[in-house]
Amino acid sequence: MRPILLQGHERPLTQIKYTKDGDILFSTAKDQIICAWFSANGERLGTYHGHQGALWTVDIDPTTTLLASGAADNTVRLWDVRTGKCVKVLELNTAVKRVEFSEDGTQLLAVTEKRMGFLGTIVVFDIKIDVDAEQSSEPAMTITCDESKATVAGWSYLSKYIIAGHEDGSVSQYDGKSGELLDNYPAHEDGMPVTDLQWSPDRTYFITSSKDKTAKVISARNLEVLKTYVTDTPLNTATITPKKDFVILGGGQAAIDVTTTSSRQGKFEARFYHRIFEDEIGRVKGHFGPLNTIAVDPQGRGYASGGEDGYVRVHHFDKGYFDFMYEVEKEQARG
Amino acid sequence: MSKLANRPDWADDEEFDDPTALPAPTITTNKDGTKTSISYSFNDAGKKVKTTRRIRTTVVRETVNPRVAERRAWAKFGLEKGHGAGPSFDTTSVGENIIFRPSVTWKKDGKEEKPEKDSVKAQLKDKKVKCRICDGEHFTARCPFKDTMAPMGEDGVGAAGGAGGADGGDEEDPKVGGLGSGGGGYVPPHLRKGAAASGERMGGKYERDDLATLRVTNVSEFAEENDLRDIFSRFGHVTRVFLAKDRDSGRAKGFAFISYADRANAAKACEKLDGYGYGHLILRVEFAKRAT
Repeated sequence: MRPILLQGHERPLTQIKYTKDGDILFSTAKDQIICAWFSANGERLGTYHGHQGALWTVDIDPTTTLLASGAADNTVRLWDVRTGKCVKVLELNTAVKRVEFSEDGTQLLAVTEKRMGFLGTIVVFDIKIDVDAEQSSEPAMTITCDESKATVAGWSYLSKYIIAGHEDGSVSQYDGKSGELLDNYPAHEDGMPVTDLQWSPDRTYFITSSKDKTAKVISARNLEVLKTYVTDTPLNTATITPKKDFVILGGGQAAIDVTTTSSRQGKFEARFYHRIFEDEIGRVKGHFGPLNTIAVDPQGRGYASGGEDGYVRVHHFDKGYFDFMYEVEKEQARG
Repeated sequence: MSKLANRPDWADDEEFDDPTALPAPTITTNKDGTKTSISYSFNDAGKKVKTTRRIRTTVVRETVNPRVAERRAWAKFGLEKGHGAGPSFDTTSVGENIIFRPSVTWKKDGKEEKPEKDSVKAQLKDKKVKCRICDGEHFTARCPFKDTMAPMGEDGVGAAGGAGGADGGDEEDPKVGGLGSGGGGYVPPHLRKGAAASGERMGGKYERDDLATLRVTNVSEFAEENDLRDIFSRFGHVTRVFLAKDRDSGRAKGFAFISYADRANAAKACEKLDGYGYGHLILRVEFAKRAT
């Protein structure tokens, strides 16, 4: 496969998101703009300007109408995807580290940083999926994380739960309606922050990555750890591939140590693991720095990775990827 | 006559009328469904160029999600505002091809590679600089005996033809080694110590297995290949007999090469036939040396 290199950012990438149809991908970096790209050929559709601080996160609603972004300027902004105009600015107390639309797109959660005397919170807004509609500025619900701040969060199936990953390596389950804490499970090593949380296509389970060099697939219903993928490097991101039973993990030496390590030692590769057998099945090289974010095309045709080096690399899987099967899988397919 | 010379030839009339005129392009449909288009143009040097293209039209139908198709037509905005369709070169480029083949044994394959690298490292770790002249721990070029002593085990190479007695005794009497002809003289790379073993020979696949080849010298000039074959095949299967012959006279030059399938047979033949009388001469048989 020939990756497409996208050089739209001047600072390290923070998040990449595909639309539900997988045709457009959005990238955010610490340089205050969001870029929209056609995933098929790497053509840039446009950029979204307005944020005054490093962008940490982006999400797109399932109908590809509204784009939400969170930044270090303490705001969440909603954008008209088509024109690049900002339709709403939601002011918060601290920097926003993660935004995510619910499955139906009617709710948006934002994870805020613990800073300036404020505790880390997960704020939920009601959203009308219409560019012209008046969006409410008041949060519908606020969950305060008083033990350890949340670093990542997401909506489970049918918006039933809000799942959050914490700085201390634990994962919590909140009720999606009331915001009540239902469960907290120390999925990762104590003190190792959860760096990413991404959902399976049906949102019944999710994958978390952590600085403790592991990624785990966890059930949303009861926070049971289903699978563990062990690597040799701190992980920044993990994603679940549709169509094939793989997961893609990304990480590398912390950015601060990068200059002292060669690209091989830094382990700046996307690692493919088999989701069920937990075996590493391959790696894809290319970045000069740690991988900060990986997103996979919801249609399963490819994936994109964003690195500390400021590049986005869009990969389209080729035949070898789709043909790969374990012996037992082949037998099953035959029978 | 001069009038005629000024007048352009009637055959060239057409072209001279209007030199910039180009014939109209034509498109013809061929039997096999392709089209041939012929067009004319001027190239940079002002010459007329005829371009013939054969065009095959293939219709590829693709079903596109209507939502995706609609978004595809969206106008660009932000930094891309006003730019035309297609990726722009300053933001989008294509990386080098990555061969990605998922494999169950990925980890094992990777591990096999590593120890190899490590072992090379380990080998080099124990390696010390060793002087070829005095065995000391310095480079040969830095040896204090460089000008006075030949490299160890190499004494004979250059000196043998020169002073005659320059074998091994160099250490006691460096001058016998002979200035110029001794250790200090130029030795071509292929004659240097260890060169034959380490150097890779050219001509790869044509290289014969010299291990079971005998060199026979002092062969009668009336010898025939078949006679030699008869003699030598007593000791085993002979794969090749080569008798060097003079191109003009067709007589043998006096030496031959005999290859055996098995080295043991060759050794036996060498032992038995060395000194064997053949014709009016006594054969000398030895193992062939690798051509250098």
